[in-house]
Amino acid sequence: MVLIERLNYLGGNVSRFNNYFPKLCPPACGLEINYSRIRSNPRISYHTGASVESICGSDGDFRVKISVEPRLINNNCTSCGLCAEVCPEERPQKLGRKAGEKAAYINNGLAFPMKYCIDPLVCKREACGKCLEVCDYDAIQLNASPAEVELQVGKIIVATGWILYDAARIENYRYQEEPDVVTNLEFERMLAACTREKTKLTRPSDGKTPRRIAFVQCAGSRDVNHLPYCSAVCCSTSLKHALTLESEYPDIHAEIFYIDMRLSGRNEKLLKQAEGKERIALTKGKVGRIVQGEGEANLVLEVEDISKGFRREDAFDMVVLAMGLTPNHVAAGLKVNKYGFYLPEQRAGIIPAASCKRPMDVSSAVKDATACALKAMQR
Amino acid sequence: MGIIKPDIKFKRELGRLSGSQLNQCMQCGNCSAVCSLAPAERPFPGKEMVWSGWGLKEKLIGNVDIWLCHQCGDCSSYCPRDVKPADVISAIRHQTYLHYARPRFLGKLVSSPAWLPVAIAIPVVVIMAILSLAGTFKIPEGPVDYSAFFPHGLLNSTFSAITLFFYLLASFGIVRFWKDMKRLTPPGEAGMKKFPIARVLGEILSHSNFSGCGSQQLRKIAHMSLFFGFGLLILVTLYAIWATITHNYPLPFTNPFKIAGNVASLMIYSGLGIMVFQRLMNRSVFGKSSYSDWLLLAAIGLLTLSGTLVELARFGNWSVAYHLYFFHLVAVWFVIMYLPFTKMGHIFYRTTALLYARSIGRK
Amino acid sequence: MMSAEKKHMALAICTGCDIGNCIDADKLTDAVREAFDGISCISHKSLCSEAGLEELRKFTREKGVDRLGVAACSPRVKTAEFSMDGIYVDRINLREQLAWVMEPGEEDTQMCAEDQTRMVLAKLDTIKENTPYLPEQVYSDVLVVGGGIAGVSAALEGAAAGYRVHLVEKSDRLGGYAGRIYKTPYNEIDLSARTSEVMSHPGVEVHLETSIESISGEPGNFFVAIRNSDSATLKVGSVVTATGWKPYDPDKLSALGYASPRVKTLEEFEQSVQVEQPPDRVLFVLCAGSRDENHLSYCSSYCCGAALKQALYIREKNPGAEVYIVYRDIRTAGFQEEFYKLVQADDAIFMTKGVIKSVSDLGNEVEVVVGESLLDEQITLVADLVVLATGMVPNTTSDLKLQYRLGEGLPELEYEFSDSHFICFPYETRRTGVYAAGTVRAPMDMEMSQEDGAGAMMKAIQCIECVKRGEAVHPRAGDMSYPELYMERCTDCKRCTEECPFGSYDETDKGTPLPNPARCRRCGICVGSCPERIISFSDFSINSVSAMIKAVHVPDEFKEKPRVLVFVCENDAYPALDAAGVHRLRYSPFVRIIPVRCLGSVNKVWISDALSHGYDGILQIGCKPGDDYQCHFIHGSELTEQRGENLQETLETMMLEPERIQTRFVEITDHHEIQEIINDYVEELELIGPNPFKDM
Repeated sequence: MVLIERLNYLGGNVSRFNNYFPKLCPPACGLEINYSRIRSNPRISYHTGASVESICGSDGDFRVKISVEPRLINNNCTSCGLCAEVCPEERPQKLGRKAGEKAAYINNGLAFPMKYCIDPLVCKREACGKCLEVCDYDAIQLNASPAEVELQVGKIIVATGWILYDAARIENYRYQEEPDVVTNLEFERMLAACTREKTKLTRPSDGKTPRRIAFVQCAGSRDVNHLPYCSAVCCSTSLKHALTLESEYPDIHAEIFYIDMRLSGRNEKLLKQAEGKERIALTKGKVGRIVQGEGEANLVLEVEDISKGFRREDAFDMVVLAMGLTPNHVAAGLKVNKYGFYLPEQRAGIIPAASCKRPMDVSSAVKDATACALKAMQR
Repeated sequence: MGIIKPDIKFKRELGRLSGSQLNQCMQCGNCSAVCSLAPAERPFPGKEMVWSGWGLKEKLIGNVDIWLCHQCGDCSSYCPRDVKPADVISAIRHQTYLHYARPRFLGKLVSSPAWLPVAIAIPVVVIMAILSLAGTFKIPEGPVDYSAFFPHGLLNSTFSAITLFFYLLASFGIVRFWKDMKRLTPPGEAGMKKFPIARVLGEILSHSNFSGCGSQQLRKIAHMSLFFGFGLLILVTLYAIWATITHNYPLPFTNPFKIAGNVASLMIYSGLGIMVFQRLMNRSVFGKSSYSDWLLLAAIGLLTLSGTLVELARFGNWSVAYHLYFFHLVAVWFVIMYLPFTKMGHIFYRTTALLYARSIGRK
Repeated sequence: MMSAEKKHMALAICTGCDIGNCIDADKLTDAVREAFDGISCISHKSLCSEAGLEELRKFTREKGVDRLGVAACSPRVKTAEFSMDGIYVDRINLREQLAWVMEPGEEDTQMCAEDQTRMVLAKLDTIKENTPYLPEQVYSDVLVVGGGIAGVSAALEGAAAGYRVHLVEKSDRLGGYAGRIYKTPYNEIDLSARTSEVMSHPGVEVHLETSIESISGEPGNFFVAIRNSDSATLKVGSVVTATGWKPYDPDKLSALGYASPRVKTLEEFEQSVQVEQPPDRVLFVLCAGSRDENHLSYCSSYCCGAALKQALYIREKNPGAEVYIVYRDIRTAGFQEEFYKLVQADDAIFMTKGVIKSVSDLGNEVEVVVGESLLDEQITLVADLVVLATGMVPNTTSDLKLQYRLGEGLPELEYEFSDSHFICFPYETRRTGVYAAGTVRAPMDMEMSQEDGAGAMMKAIQCIECVKRGEAVHPRAGDMSYPELYMERCTDCKRCTEECPFGSYDETDKGTPLPNPARCRRCGICVGSCPERIISFSDFSINSVSAMIKAVHVPDEFKEKPRVLVFVCENDAYPALDAAGVHRLRYSPFVRIIPVRCLGSVNKVWISDALSHGYDGILQIGCKPGDDYQCHFIHGSELTEQRGENLQETLETMMLEPERIQTRFVEITDHHEIQEIINDYVEELELIGPNPFKDM
């Protein structure tokens, strides 16, 4: 098994998540089990920073050319962290990213591989070279260039996952204009950063603790103007966020605005838990617009509370958009459905797995990937 | 509320008129949320969409909120299921004219192309009858003089009488409409205020309800042109009627009222032009234009156009002057006499609804 | 203590990554040499580098090392680098759990390093050679129980991968619930094609009208007694159970009018619509029993789609009919939203959100009062037929007739579904080699069930292959050690058989445990449970941990130098400790850490060993117990809590303060909490004072 990952660390999106629904448990717990299996299993190898250049051949005999972006730090790295200590360059501030994270960085304390890498967009290379001076292990390679690797494989499993729908395209939610309107993925990473750094959640615009946070469901999903399908995970995700806030922030009130609360199976439990909480409000009604208001709570939501038959123009400090999911297209030439997701049936030997086929949660992704592994064993 | 009996015929009629797949509504409330005119309590058009989905005619006809909508189209452009609430509301308004029309056939007459020949035949026959009775039903000789064809006194008296008759019929509908509004949207604890006539008049004159999103501006201008052009024409007409009694008629072309009349025509042309252009070019915002939309635009257009031509014909002594004049009279009939039963009825219904809404404190 | 003739033990110290700055490696070497006679030591400034490894390999070769302690970074990094053929390597975590968290150059830090190193070496000294558990015969066939959509899928996919499958179905036909339905309009599953394919597939042996009499044995060697016209025994390596679901008992839904003949369930209607024309007005009640604390508190997932589908049947069979659907939330997740829209394209299907207040049969029609509707606060709808979308209840797994001490079925979790760790590791059950697929493990629709069959089959195959190699399956995949019992001293107390979360132990009539190593997940809970201390792994035993405990030099004087023994669960707590190191979170140098397979594997004797050895306190850090447990061995943490109560009594009889032993549960991301836990505990201990047994 050769694992090709575009990013510098394994685990994908969930490796930067704060917790999973419905248990509200940390993703690192399950990831660690899998990482430890990869660590000790000689039958699995992996490439990070790698992308597929071309696929030749056919079922049973594929030749895959991959291009591997250098991490600028090689496998000698012991993760001692000296390079980051002396590194003078900071990566741009991003929601959920550690403030002042250096160009030489590591994802988090449980990252896999447990090795540093250097952000090539920020690093000044030889012009600075401070890390070169301190590294005792010849691990820094500032001039490394992309490597071409050719693999011979019998089957190809495509598990390229999902990306969020572009929030800026929902103009009436003012994502681009308002720093305190964030996507649920950004919010997830903000919460993860709070757990990791043991800091408190603050809102991006002024660093103050938000008091009222609104969750806008179906931001993009179930909307003929955007994504006509349901993204399947966002209701559970927002409930998870609200419950996390409820248990960790006694001053924050969360309100979720939804059309239909879609929780399948045992995820229903999230709703049961949320319904009993004083600081969580659940309001049926799609948010129409977010407009700028006065004062501190300056995000005014226009929404009809349809159960009460009341139209509200209500001010919040922060808004989390429960964005729809779209397929992450990195493998060209695969057959897609009308929404751009990969079809389950491709040419022989190529097997798409998990959320690049349809929006799904972690549990479904794992189960689908397991099924796809079996398909890869079939002749 | 008691037993709900879904009226699938009414539902389908609304769907047909509006061109909306209204059953696709998923009851999300987005339409009410984006509406800048929706009141906080029981906002529209969300609830109307739900009722429409079940064909609840009794809740929709006589519903005051239908008239608070000024058709900006925001609800339609943001609708996640593309069910065009604005068009559905518009269709309900159309059903309202039909519902309160007395005699009923007058409502039907102007609501379907099938009945158009009859709708035309009625004024033609009536005018011919009047002219035959008056003995003037022939093309007069000499320079164009319309009074030789249709004496002014006779024209004024017969047309006024017929108009009043039609409007009297309509007023029964308006009274029933008022009662229905009161039943469906009873006044709150504060009760009814005195008629806020001044306020409603102010709203109508200022077109304040048209304020909202950008796409509105042009509509506001168009409607204002039409509204004030029409108003001016009515003033000019009233003056003309008075003039036929007291002055020497026709008026010279330099008469300020005559000039005002022509200015009014220009206003109507420009307003109509914008409206037609927008309906044709901007379907995503305006949705499907129905027969009654086009009938109204055509009638106003032809009325104004024939009026202008009649004037020119007199000036130029055209041989077709009297034919044009006859045509003009038919157009007058369409716009003025049929007014309570066509989309023009909104002048009555919307004014009444606004009066009711403001008197019970509905925004 | 040492027997140098047979084996040679060595220590390699890395002084890179701050270790060399933090401690004196020479002093450490001296201390080790003093404790372990004849031990070979090597030190390098960068042991994991190519040069370092080269030197290390040369050193081990020359010295004939068979057991090596590597005092460097955490075993969670550089794993491949420090794996050496023929050498048992253990790691002394002097980096993440020492150099990065303790004051450099301090005496206490140095003492900690010396203790931790001696502990690991003491352990290495006790370990025995591991003989992997390799049964003579490992069967590669897979048993699939249940011929529904998940079972059929499992059988076909398994056979396609070259494994022989026995598909056992109770009834006289395949297809299960899905086989009885009228149409599947929104997913393109051609069930009849799948069932005929499975019937004729050379790799699948279908046993219809067959029940399971018993399943005994262990993964790789399950013996399945089946009975149809006559009896037979199948020999299989693993089991996929796909026994499906049944509708929730509608008799419990009298509040929704089920007693009336004009009220049917989804299943009843699915059958009746195939033989009779539906009436003119049909009303669907969604969530009939589901999402209801008094009935099924979960969402049954399939019913929204099924009801929408049936609405189309009605319209197709009776074009004049009207359909009313009363729902709480329409749950057509993902692309099923398309189907929702397709149904809505029919304008004779009327939908409203609402809560059913009453259903009354008026003799010729049914009156349904609905509250909280958007049509009005309370409305009354009249219909000729009401269809209740009843929920999904998993079938019992006791039909598996497992001949296990702990019961015939799979342990059922919340809501009676029988999987465990359903987020990260679906299909896992608490019976090794038995994997649940389809609606028996979670509510799902047909498409999901089909995928589920394939996934569970993958796990079943993986299990067989692991057994063939003598390896454990999830979560300690690849572990070759397994528990061995010194039966002579067994008192038949049954603790091990009761406490094993996976039912590894069978029992004789007398109560003597009969181990089934291939069922074992290697958690070591039995090691912790055994009062006679007769259960041990080759590298994890009463002796090995006792040796570690005793390898610590406990200073006679307490004054500011208490010693705290910390048992740390390897799964979540240990990585969290490492992360504390990565974040350079300082904690007390008085802790001495022993990683354990699970907190449940901590034996009481170690506690008393520690107390009598002079430790002032014992801290146990493990994974979260409870409903949303993260303990990878299900109830290891819970057992620790239970055993803790007994321990407290023991402490009291020893006249020791109960606070000396404390247990904490953390999540893997709780590195900040771990720092607090350790420091707070050490502080508390300083208030309690020294262990009075210290000088004895």
